[in-house]
Amino acid sequence: MADDKVTAGDGTFGVLAEFSSPETLMHACAKVRDKGFSIWDAHTPFPIHGLDKAMGLKRSWVSAFVLVMGLSGAVLGMIMQWWVASKAYPLVISGKPFFSWPAFIPITFECGVLGGASGAVLGLLIMARLPRHHHALFNSERFKKVTDDAFFISIEAQDPQYDSAETPRFLEEIGATYVEPVAA
Amino acid sequence: MAHAAVVADIDPVAGRAPLIEGDPSFHDITEVVSAPMEWKPPLGWYIFLGVSLCFLGLFGFSIGWLFWEGTGIWGNNIPVAWAWPIVNFVFWVGIGHAGTLISAVLFLFRQKWRTSINRTAEAMTIFAVMCALVFPGIHIGRPWLPYWMFPIPNQMDMWPQFRSPLMWDVFAVSIYGTVSLLFWYIGLVPDLATARDRATTRTRQVIYGIFALGWRGSFRQWLHYEKAYLLLAGLATPLVLSVHSVVSFDFATAQLPGWHTTIFPPYFVAGAIFSGLAMVITLMVICRVIFKLEHVINMLHFDRMARLILLTGSLVGLAYSLEFFIAWYSGTEVELFAFLNRARGPFAWAYWIMVTCNVVVPQVFWFKKARTHIPTLFIASIFINIGMWFERFVIVVTSLHRDFLPSSWDYFTPTFWDFAFFAGSFGLFFTMFTLFVRFMPMVAMAEVKSVLPQAHVHNRPE
Amino acid sequence: MEHEISVSPEEISLPESWNKLPMIAGGVGLISLIASYMMGHGSQQFSFSYLTGFMYWLTLALGGLFFVLLHYLARSGWSVVVRRQAEHVMGTLPVFVLLFIPVALGMHDLYHWTHADAVAHDPLLQHKAPYLNETFFFIRAAFFFAVWTMLSMYFRSQSAQQDKSGDPDITQRLQTRSAPGMVLFAVTIMFASFDWLMSLEPHWFSTIFGVYIFAGCVVSIFAFLILLVLQLKGSGALTHIVTWEHFHDLGKLLFGFVVFWAYIGFSQFMLIWYANIPEETFWFDMRWDDPTWRWTSIFLAAGHFVVPFFFLITQWVKRQRLTLTLAALWMLFMHYVDIYWLVMPTLHHEAFQLSVLDFTCWLGIGGLFLAVLFSLMQRSTLIPVKDPRLQESLAFENP
Repeated sequence: MADDKVTAGDGTFGVLAEFSSPETLMHACAKVRDKGFSIWDAHTPFPIHGLDKAMGLKRSWVSAFVLVMGLSGAVLGMIMQWWVASKAYPLVISGKPFFSWPAFIPITFECGVLGGASGAVLGLLIMARLPRHHHALFNSERFKKVTDDAFFISIEAQDPQYDSAETPRFLEEIGATYVEPVAA
Repeated sequence: MAHAAVVADIDPVAGRAPLIEGDPSFHDITEVVSAPMEWKPPLGWYIFLGVSLCFLGLFGFSIGWLFWEGTGIWGNNIPVAWAWPIVNFVFWVGIGHAGTLISAVLFLFRQKWRTSINRTAEAMTIFAVMCALVFPGIHIGRPWLPYWMFPIPNQMDMWPQFRSPLMWDVFAVSIYGTVSLLFWYIGLVPDLATARDRATTRTRQVIYGIFALGWRGSFRQWLHYEKAYLLLAGLATPLVLSVHSVVSFDFATAQLPGWHTTIFPPYFVAGAIFSGLAMVITLMVICRVIFKLEHVINMLHFDRMARLILLTGSLVGLAYSLEFFIAWYSGTEVELFAFLNRARGPFAWAYWIMVTCNVVVPQVFWFKKARTHIPTLFIASIFINIGMWFERFVIVVTSLHRDFLPSSWDYFTPTFWDFAFFAGSFGLFFTMFTLFVRFMPMVAMAEVKSVLPQAHVHNRPE
Repeated sequence: MEHEISVSPEEISLPESWNKLPMIAGGVGLISLIASYMMGHGSQQFSFSYLTGFMYWLTLALGGLFFVLLHYLARSGWSVVVRRQAEHVMGTLPVFVLLFIPVALGMHDLYHWTHADAVAHDPLLQHKAPYLNETFFFIRAAFFFAVWTMLSMYFRSQSAQQDKSGDPDITQRLQTRSAPGMVLFAVTIMFASFDWLMSLEPHWFSTIFGVYIFAGCVVSIFAFLILLVLQLKGSGALTHIVTWEHFHDLGKLLFGFVVFWAYIGFSQFMLIWYANIPEETFWFDMRWDDPTWRWTSIFLAAGHFVVPFFFLITQWVKRQRLTLTLAALWMLFMHYVDIYWLVMPTLHHEAFQLSVLDFTCWLGIGGLFLAVLFSLMQRSTLIPVKDPRLQESLAFENP
């Protein structure tokens, strides 16, 4: 797709490099990490076990969303039932107290799970900055293969170490089979 | 040492074939899974959809007739006020359990064979829960007032009664449906991105593109994605236990003999998973032939599911015998009567169908030949589906038809409309399912790729 | 993962410092048991304290049996490096035949239904007599012990044989046989719970009771395995073999079964509370009406579920020596509270009342249990050295 190629310049998003296998990608990632790049990413069709270490990524904090929202869901669920059953609409049923906590456990639990699951999805969307309408990488025709069988590294022009001539060469050195600049 | 080199790929004990047959490349997986979405579907698909739509039409018509004429069209009577609608509800909720079991529980236990079948099983869950939700909706008698079940103040300043197990059910099943949908959708995102990137028409690209949320396979995203998926699985696991437990509470909190027994929650859960797995087998046998997925869904997967069926079926059998034992041991006359009435009373035929299908039939899976023989699997799975429907029938109808007051004892006879509703709900289920296999990736591509041998990195950098 | 991970012989043999433990544990156990007997023989308190201790250690040993059966049934790989300890735990099961003798001798103290005069005035007990009679009780006990002894000896000896031959067919065979083994295990544990614990209150019944006992078994085995292997590591064994990845997994399973225990316990309580039938509720009333028992019940719910739930929910707790040890010790303590709560209200229904015999009996049986366990540990390597899935287990990482 020669027509799609653009020369690196101010309107450049960065550079995209393709690798042939998960293994070469992981070794390349370790080298990019060691070189000190910070604004870069790897792109794969499926999650690769161990790539987070090779990229030097810290663990995900999605779990914090789940914990907070799950607990809030459970607490709110219990408060709702207590308030409805003993304040808003007290009604004697089968001789049980208004606040019959054993009967409120199932809904408390369900509300907690609902909160936690929403937290997981919300946390994912926030942390992964999704959904988004467009991304510069989609300008590359070749990048479509990332959801099929191709493995990429992208280094953004914003990275302080980025150099429009040097960086593509560096990527080729560490084993890229194909390198292309991407327009912003 | 030869076996150490391949430790991650091939089982050192059995030297078994890998999870996916035929040593495919990543691209082969994309092709084979995407094909049903992109080709003109085979004639069989149209026939199947046509038949399903007919039954869906019957369902729609039956519901219309019910609203027009009232619940008298059913065979429900006094004392059997809860009859087929509740049987069907519990049946469908039960079917819906295997999806989450396969996708969440097996995920937590790192059973990698699940990747070939989890997507379909999850889809099945959602459609089954949809079918289930219809029945309490129409069974309440005044279907224009379902919002009385939601925690909102209404015009009479009434609130729902949270001490009622039926309210727990509303929360449990609707939250289960919601969470299953989220779990399924999050799993679908990377595959929808594949469909978007392969789209040949603008319409497909836009529609798949919207639902793919702009996914670009970034590993920084994968990291959060995997965490979120793990946590969703972690939440879905107790949820799946809780949902059928709550359904069992509908019965077990009552004082009715045959309903009030403490084993109900785990016993219902085991039965639900049992029936759901049978339904997965039924569907898989059909799908893999129509859509040529024999390499992706192979004998290994059937073997594993058959083992789980044997396990859960045995648990169900154990629960049946414990119930009987305690009914006698308790020394409560009515309790013992209820159980003897099941085995020897007017509905003994239903009881023995249940025992045969649920306890006897799964025993064939002790043999490997049966676990890997498609016709046996198919027939056994149908029998188990039938058996599990009858289990709910036995619990609901035989417990009710002879209650504490002998003067009100009666026999229950279903009407044409009972059959129509049940058959119609299958129409809804299969219509949804047929559309799903046509327009969505029915195997989790990204996950299958990640269990292929070439996905493992053996020499990791420091 | 390309290369095989090698295992050094020092790492897999029992540390020197452990060699005296069978003697010490056995000595302490014997002295405690003799002391308990001297102090309490002939008293009801002795029988009840003894039954509590007996059920405590028996459930742990049964947990070991379950762990091994599940390991083979699920064809799991990661757990190979800890399986040997579970095998030793279940290896103590034959000893419980001997330890059962005081329970058998004290059965008139323990089980109301063994009194002919009580049965004569009680239609319910007359109804239950075909099941609750001494002859059948002993036949069943013999059956339970036969099944457990047979299963534990078979699985242990096959595993030991594999240490020599390295034959993968043994694993294959055990995988196949674990399925009927599991069926036998399920049936025996259900009815053993009915016989030895539920029939303490012969009028009371609950179908889920056996599942509740089973849940306790599993919690205790995971806690015990964590503790035992951590101690082995502390003495310099298994250093590179059992890693934090394995402990993390054991911790997760402990957490999971704490929740499972709560689920089963709550189901039993809530269904009985809700239906409010006097034939069933009196059992909970015995544990609630008196304030001391009420606080014990609250303590059980809080300590066996709420506290460990929030403690074990975070990841780092399962990957630190101190926190994980604390969690395991706590769960083993709460398991005792659980068994105590099941047994003792029958004796002290008016108020919670501790006795020194509770402690000495627990210590006595535990001492003998540990003596057998430690001497079994001396006789083999600490891991199944030639298990075909050993490499997978060694290389295991949490995804």
